[in-house]
Amino acid sequence: MSEPKEAALLSKMASEVFAGMIAPALENAPLIQAAEDDVLAKEDVLVRMERELKRALEKSPAERRWVMVIDLRRCIGCHACTIGCVAENKLPPGVVYRPVLTEEIGKYPHVAYRFLPKPCLQCENAPCTPVCPVNATYTNEEGVIVVDYDQCIGCRACISACPYASRTFDFGVNYTDKTVDRLTMVLGSSEAGKYETAGTAFEYGERRERQQHHSPIGNVRKCHFCLHRIKVGILPACTTTCIGRATYFGDANDPDALVSELIAKPNVMRLKEELGTEPRVYYLL
Amino acid sequence: MIKKLAYLVGGLTLLFGLWGFYDRFAYGHQNANYGSYVVWGLWVAMYLFFAGVAAGGFMVSTLDLLFGVKIFKGTGRIALWGSLVCLVAALISIGLDNGHLFRIWKVYLQGNPFSLLFQMVWGYTLFGAISVVALVLASRQPNNPWLKPVMAVGLVVSFFISGAVGALLGVNASRPFWHVGLFPVQFPVFSLASGVAMLLTALAFFGREDDENRPQQLWILSLTSVILLIVKLYFMWADYSQSMYGNVPMNVQAVRQVLFGEYWWAFWILQLLIGSLIPLVFLIQRKFATHNHWAGWMGILMLVGYAVARGLIIFPALTVPELEALVHAFSGPHLTFHYFPSLMEWAVTSGTIGIAILGFLFGSEKLNLFSNTPKEA
Repeated sequence: MSEPKEAALLSKMASEVFAGMIAPALENAPLIQAAEDDVLAKEDVLVRMERELKRALEKSPAERRWVMVIDLRRCIGCHACTIGCVAENKLPPGVVYRPVLTEEIGKYPHVAYRFLPKPCLQCENAPCTPVCPVNATYTNEEGVIVVDYDQCIGCRACISACPYASRTFDFGVNYTDKTVDRLTMVLGSSEAGKYETAGTAFEYGERRERQQHHSPIGNVRKCHFCLHRIKVGILPACTTTCIGRATYFGDANDPDALVSELIAKPNVMRLKEELGTEPRVYYLL
Repeated sequence: MIKKLAYLVGGLTLLFGLWGFYDRFAYGHQNANYGSYVVWGLWVAMYLFFAGVAAGGFMVSTLDLLFGVKIFKGTGRIALWGSLVCLVAALISIGLDNGHLFRIWKVYLQGNPFSLLFQMVWGYTLFGAISVVALVLASRQPNNPWLKPVMAVGLVVSFFISGAVGALLGVNASRPFWHVGLFPVQFPVFSLASGVAMLLTALAFFGREDDENRPQQLWILSLTSVILLIVKLYFMWADYSQSMYGNVPMNVQAVRQVLFGEYWWAFWILQLLIGSLIPLVFLIQRKFATHNHWAGWMGILMLVGYAVARGLIIFPALTVPELEALVHAFSGPHLTFHYFPSLMEWAVTSGTIGIAILGFLFGSEKLNLFSNTPKEA
C-alpha cells in the first residue's frame, strides 16, 4: 500500500477521538521514513529485549542497571500494563503498582488524551528508603527498590515520602469479600475466595497465602520490576502486555541494549527531575 | 462534681472505644478511611497531639522539679503524671496505626538509625523511662540528689522528641506543606503550649482547694497559655502567608484546603474560634483565669484546638495529589484524596482518650499527686 493510501485509510477508519490522539504524531511525518527509525521495523522489540535480558543475566547483579523506558507517543491508554501487573502479582483491591494516568488536554475541537503509565520509578536517590525505621525497604544490588514483607511494620512513612505516589498499602481487602455464596458453585467469599487467597503469586520469588494479619496484608507494596520474572529471563509483565510496544526494559549498563539507545535520545525526560531523585524510569516524549 | 463528670466521660469514651479496638484487632485496617494517598489519618494526628502534651507536660513539670520555681511548688508530679498518661495514649494511637504492631521490636533490634522514626521510638522509650524514674523519685524521695539531673536530661529529651515530630514531617521534600525548615523548632513550642494547657486544666479542675498558691498558679498558666497561643498563631500565619505568596501549587492547594476546602469548618470553627479566640478572650481576664471552672474549661478548649491543629497539619498535605491525574488513575478501596475519619477510627480515638482520662484520674487519686508535698500523700 502506498504512503498516501495508508494515510487515507487511517484517516477514514479512525474515530474522531482516535484521530485526535494520533493526528499530531502523523502531521508532516513521512510514514516510510518513520518505519526506518522505528525500533519495531527490524524485529519485535520484545524479542530483542528478551535477548538482551539473557545477556544481562550473565553478568553479576551489581553490574546491571535495570531501567524502564516508556514511549508516551506509543501509549494508547489501554491499561493492559496495569491489568497485566495486577494479574501477575495478584494484587488485591486498592493495591496498584502501575496505574496509567489519563488526562484530557486541549479544548474542543483540539482535544486529545494524554497517557502516563507510572510504575515505581526506582529512584537512585530514593526518598522512601532512608525513612524506613527497620530497613524493610531498600535498593537491592541491581538497583531495584524492594520491600521485605516480613520486616515491614506498616508505618507507611515510605508512602508519605514518595513524591510519585508509587506505593500503596495492603489493607487486607479481597475482591470476594462480602459476596454471596452459592452452594455447589464456585461463587462468593467462601468458595471463590479460596482461589483469591491461595498462594499463587510469586512476588520476590515467595509464595504467600493471603491471610488476615499476615504479610503482605498490613504492608506497603510497590512495583519491583517483576524481579521474579527477570530472574528467570522473562521481561516484566507490563512490558510484555503492552500492545503498543510503548514500554521497554533492559540493562542500561549494556551500551548495545535498546534502553541505552532510547535514553540517549534528546526527547527523553524523567518525572520531577527537580527533586534530584534520579529515577530509573524514563519517558520519551 | 467535675471529677464525677470526668469519670463518666472517661468511662463512656472508653466503652465506645472498646468496639473500635475490637474492630481494629479483628479486621485490621479494613474499616479505616485513610488510604494509600491520604496515608496518615486521625490516629497519627492524635499521636502528634498526645505526644505533644506528653513532651509539654514534662517541660512544665521542670518548673517545680528542676528549677524550683516557688509558685509552682507541688505541681511537678501532676504534670509528670499527665505527661506519662499522654505518652501512653500517644503510643496506643500510633501503635494501632501500624500495619504490624507486634513487629515493633524490630525497631530496637534491627532498626535503621538514620530513620527519624527509629530515633523517635528510641526517644520515646528513653523519655518514658525518665518520666517514670522522675515520678518515683519526686513522689518517694523528693530530696534525692538524682532527681534534678534526671529532670534535666528529661527536659532535653522532651525537646528532642517534640522537635523530631516536626522533623519527621519537615524532611518530606515531596510535600511542600510540610517541608518547612522551622518545623522542628515550632513543634517544641506547640508541645509546650499543650503541656501548659494540660496543667491549667488539671489544676483548675482537680487542684487542692486549700492551696493558697492556686489562684496565682492559674493566672500565670493562663497568661502563659495565651502567649504561647499567640506565638503558635503567628507561626501559622507565617507558614500560610508565605505559602500563599510563594505560590507553589502543591503548597497553595494544601493551604486552601485548610482555609476554604474540605476542612474549613475544623480550621475556622474548631481551631480558631473554639480553640483559640474564646480561650484567649477569657484567659486574659483575671476573674475568669483564676476561676476553677472557667480556667479548666478554657484549658480543655485549647487542648481541643491543639488536637484539631495537628489534624490540620497532617490531612491537608496528603489530600493534594502528587500528580494531578492520579485522582482518577485507578479505582479501589482506600484510593482517594478525600479524608474524613471512619466510625472505627473515631471509636479507637475515643477509647484512647478514655484511657487517658481514666488513667489520669485514677493515678492522680491513688498516687495523691495533688498534695503539695509527697509527705502529705
